Amino acid sequence: MPPRKSTTKQRTLAASLQEYGRGVAGGLMFSLPLLYTMEVWWTGIVAHPFRLITYVLATFVLLIGYNRYAGLRRDSSMAEVVIDSVEELGIGLLIAGLVLFLLGRVTAEMSAMEIAGVIVLEAMTVAIGVSIGTAQLGAGGKDDEGLGEGGTEKGISFGGQIVMGFCGAVLFAANVAPTEEIIIIAIEISWLRLMGLAILSLLVAFVILHFSDFKGADRFVRADHPTVILLGTSLTYSIALIASGLILWFFGRFDGVSLITALSQTIVLAVAATLGASAGRLLLQ
Amino acid sequence: MRKVQKNWLEWAVFGVGLVLVLAVLGYLLYSGASMGNEPPNIEVRLGTPEQKQFNFIVPVTVVNHGDETAASLRIEVVMETNGEEQARGELDIPFLPRHATREGWVTFEQDPRTSQLKARVLGYQKP
Repeated sequence: MPPRKSTTKQRTLAASLQEYGRGVAGGLMFSLPLLYTMEVWWTGIVAHPFRLITYVLATFVLLIGYNRYAGLRRDSSMAEVVIDSVEELGIGLLIAGLVLFLLGRVTAEMSAMEIAGVIVLEAMTVAIGVSIGTAQLGAGGKDDEGLGEGGTEKGISFGGQIVMGFCGAVLFAANVAPTEEIIIIAIEISWLRLMGLAILSLLVAFVILHFSDFKGADRFVRADHPTVILLGTSLTYSIALIASGLILWFFGRFDGVSLITALSQTIVLAVAATLGASAGRLLLQ
Repeated sequence: MRKVQKNWLEWAVFGVGLVLVLAVLGYLLYSGASMGNEPPNIEVRLGTPEQKQFNFIVPVTVVNHGDETAASLRIEVVMETNGEEQARGELDIPFLPRHATREGWVTFEQDPRTSQLKARVLGYQKP
């Protein structure tokens, strides 16, 4: 037995296990639609290894951002944030591998590159789900009260809100982005409907952030002036558009299409991303 | 900087996670660096024909030796006797990733064991 004094501030094993349990549950909850989607398996199998590496690194940065601003222990040092993010990536890979194996999507006949591709692609969403599950699904024990401490009552920083909005947008949009439906809608849609979708997105952002009295809205989104409201709504929509564009590019949806098709795909997907971005700014706190 | 507080379980999970992530990144880096740009290069192999209750089946193995994925492949197997076509079997494969192998069967009504079988890939598209 090591001396007691070095272990006084550690969590008990039971507490860690509970945390991992929440993480696994969250990982499954948020990524199950993707694990069950054919297009995602194919994208993973076809994707160039360097594109997959980019995806892993981007997810890692996103996880660090999430854990820094909204993680379970908001007073964590940078080292702890990085360690947690690596843990989440690892758990994500394990869960994705296990579920894909059970679904028969990872078999002995596949080449190593196919297996790596399909698991890595799915694991990144699982990892974000793990991170959110660990931090958000808890019952609000002692550890969860980071927000009330250290004078953060006035709301988390602007940078934090952007990171959170981005996390939410990616999580929501990633569930729809790889499907055929997005490209079909984008090709067939008229420009008037496209405008309608953009306006709908802005309305959704406005309603969630400023109007409908969502939990946390008054605390995290200060809005006492129409200009601020307009700016906040546009900011959320911008985050959604950028996140949509990046995800579509990643899933290879911009390969060999015209600029207008790329743009309309982005706007179509941004409806989902706006929901995520608004929710991220509020609900994922 | 404060000391990182972790129990052994958390360190173990971190260790496993770190090894997994580094292994995956290392593998991707390696396979990305060693990968060329060769277009799909499809090999079709035929196995030994077998007699079944309703027909004769011939196992087909399709291998993509190229560095790019082929989609919607159509494989044709022709049964010939003395250079004359007797029957024709076809097989569609939706997806054949780089360096991947897929297996299937073509069926014939006559016994292909007394004839010659010729297999080739008719065409495929970019995914």
